[in-house]
Amino acid sequence: MDLLQRFTHGEIDAFETLVRQFQGDIYAWIVRIVRDRGTAEDLTVETLWRVYRARHRFCPDGNFGAWARRIATNLAIDHLRRSRPEQSFPTEPAGAPQPDPLVQRETRERIQLAFRRLPAKLQVAATLALVEELPYDEIASALGTSVGAVKLRVFRAVRILRKRLSQAGITPE
Amino acid sequence: MKEHEDKYMTEHNDREMRDALKQSIPPVNTELRRDLWPDVLRELDARQVGVPWYDWVLVGLSAMMFLAFPRLVLVFAYHL
Repeated sequence: MDLLQRFTHGEIDAFETLVRQFQGDIYAWIVRIVRDRGTAEDLTVETLWRVYRARHRFCPDGNFGAWARRIATNLAIDHLRRSRPEQSFPTEPAGAPQPDPLVQRETRERIQLAFRRLPAKLQVAATLALVEELPYDEIASALGTSVGAVKLRVFRAVRILRKRLSQAGITPE
Repeated sequence: MKEHEDKYMTEHNDREMRDALKQSIPPVNTELRRDLWPDVLRELDARQVGVPWYDWVLVGLSAMMFLAFPRLVLVFAYHL
């Protein structure tokens, strides 16, 4: 019996092997969306727990990574819905490139705030497409939707952002 | 021609917004720094749904009662 079949039968050893194999990918995906290391770790653990709970629904011939990523995406979207948009994104302590000095701090904070106030689904699509510059088909697969729908979400996110920033007197250069 | 212009403007606007967002939203380190398996195992143990002991006692008593008085099954079936 192969690893995925053993997993669907509830064998904990098989699940442990899958966790060790995929935890890095799941974490990397979630942290790109929520932009916070601690939250991403918590959501990764929650994702893996839900993966184990839903093991009976997984087809052993399927793509485990893509399935887990979709569960992770849904959890990350739920987190964004619950989290308060007043908080700014935490900054990385080291290794992060310095932002363009022409973009002033206040402007950056306003852009961040406007971005965090986007509806969660639009925010996720815009983060992955515009900030992380991931391929649209990869984003569509994780969101369980079509490439066209992702493009539409990004378009709507940009339109809302542009409108809100324009109201605040900010024009992206 | 109009379609081409619209497409150019949309791409231009997207590029502007992408640049603004990339400058405003700090990059994140996507590398996982610790093994999360112990945390997952803890969650599995904590959320293990077990049948409480008193439910087993209730099932046992019911089984004994039905064995001792088989006609009670009909009474129960009638009231269900």
